[in-house]
Amino acid sequence: MSGSLVIQQSGNSVVTDLGRFRGPRFGLPVNGALDQFSARAANILTGNEDSAPLLEVTALDFRMRASTDILIAVTGAPLRLTVGGRECQQWEPVSVRAGETVALRQITGGLRAYLAVHGSVEAPVLLGSCAPDTVIGFGLRLTDGAELKTSRSVPPIRQPYFDLPLFRLGLTRPEFSSQAVVEVTDGPDVDEFGDTADLLYTTEYTVSARSNHIGLRLGGDLPERQSSAEVLSRGVPVGAIEVPSRDELLVLHRGRGVTAGYPVLAVVTTRSLDVLAQARPGHTITFRRTTVPDATAKHRAALRELENLRSTVSTVFALLGIGSRPGWQQFAPAAGS
Amino acid sequence: MPATTTPTPVEVFESGDAALRVVASSPNREANWSTVHALAGWLEAAGADGVHGAVPTYDSLLVEFDPGVTSARQVRAFVLLGMRQLDFIGAPARAPREFSVPVVYGGEYGPDLERVAEHEQLPVEEIIALHTAKSYVIRCLGAPAGSPMMDGPDFPLPVPRLKDPRLSVPAGAVAVAGRQAVIAPAMAPGGWCVIGQTPLAVLDVTSEPLVPYVPGDLLRFHQIRAEEFASYAGRKLEAAR
Repeated sequence: MSGSLVIQQSGNSVVTDLGRFRGPRFGLPVNGALDQFSARAANILTGNEDSAPLLEVTALDFRMRASTDILIAVTGAPLRLTVGGRECQQWEPVSVRAGETVALRQITGGLRAYLAVHGSVEAPVLLGSCAPDTVIGFGLRLTDGAELKTSRSVPPIRQPYFDLPLFRLGLTRPEFSSQAVVEVTDGPDVDEFGDTADLLYTTEYTVSARSNHIGLRLGGDLPERQSSAEVLSRGVPVGAIEVPSRDELLVLHRGRGVTAGYPVLAVVTTRSLDVLAQARPGHTITFRRTTVPDATAKHRAALRELENLRSTVSTVFALLGIGSRPGWQQFAPAAGS
Repeated sequence: MPATTTPTPVEVFESGDAALRVVASSPNREANWSTVHALAGWLEAAGADGVHGAVPTYDSLLVEFDPGVTSARQVRAFVLLGMRQLDFIGAPARAPREFSVPVVYGGEYGPDLERVAEHEQLPVEEIIALHTAKSYVIRCLGAPAGSPMMDGPDFPLPVPRLKDPRLSVPAGAVAVAGRQAVIAPAMAPGGWCVIGQTPLAVLDVTSEPLVPYVPGDLLRFHQIRAEEFASYAGRKLEAAR
């Protein structure tokens, strides 16, 4: 049964997914959920495809009301989650009844939370993705009173033991710290910075308030480019660290313009981009040098953990009769006849 | 893009765990450009597992991939395979299309026209004449949103960027900087000198691809009067041939 979510307090929230991977060849940034691990986990916890549209809630409190019974999961930065006034767990599936209000309050420790709904929500698509693009003005930025269509309803799941959480799926949650360590590999232009490149690894940087989904600006001792030759515009990867001015280090994130003419000093690993997604203004960052094979191994270890979660979720959901897979309940009458 | 006989050699550089930078660094700039665009075309057509796509510019190509599915090592091997294929078959030829772009120069449409004229020590009319004098090859698609990056007009001097970039430049802005020319498909901040504006819609987010041109196509500007601007309302940029 389809239903809707009515946004009561939008705060700073959008409907997004893992990103517009076909965008860069057309000059559009990839965009999508900044903390990809948390976004994937939220979708997996609700039985969705990893790439299903979900809500990204940044920094500010958020409230919505569901018109039908639904199943949700909230991941990402630590916060206070309540459903119909009851305190609920993050990083677990949560049953929501028709008419109840879901509230995400006091996002602390990190910056971005993810809310997925079983069956997902409807959103316009461009080049295969619903991820908002602020430059061309595409996507669903939520406003107070906005309605999102949901495609599936899940009857309330009964918890026979009073006050115990419904599920305990045992995912290792990411750590959130105000003194994050971010792993990077040497960039293709590291030599242009000479000995000053080492400053990147010995300096504690502070996240500036001017940071956003396009890039984080970090204050601290800056490596300096040794030459001043003009650089032809070229494609720059998400995670590229540049020194465009004498004031700040720029770390590009998923909203980055696809081409630029600054030398790339280092590149943040895929795994550590999730850490940066959660860095709040005022938090400190230190960089640690790693290698591409090591970064790839860490990313794959995280994906394996998500695969394990998916298999646990699908077993539990099958037993409860949630989702498209047949559950034991459907076979029970035949067995009894 | 024009056929090339032999692609120039390339070097492949690590660019994090999810991208590689491929650089053609021969002394022949035109051949470098053809090579990276031909290689991008080959990579797109081959569609290897886990390769998201390729962003070619002037002498370099960024290849992005999913490190959960493939790896920098595998993609590097794939790129080198593509180069051997191109050596063998040559870069495919494609007849360029030509786009004709009406522009209102100066005034509110081109607030930096006089600044550019002053810098070049030429009359405003001569700047417009030089800008409309030839067809430009679209070299690559840039930020924001698929901007057609072109080698600029034959001005005597490179055009300096604005000291204070504008927070907002309207869609259709026709701008120059250094030795380059561009049209802004979408409203965005910008530090280039805006000398005019086209009334045509360049970006169409309801169609795929979002912009009508590809690298290698030709683009030519022609001057219209400010009174004519409104008569083009709602029209899209389309290939003339």
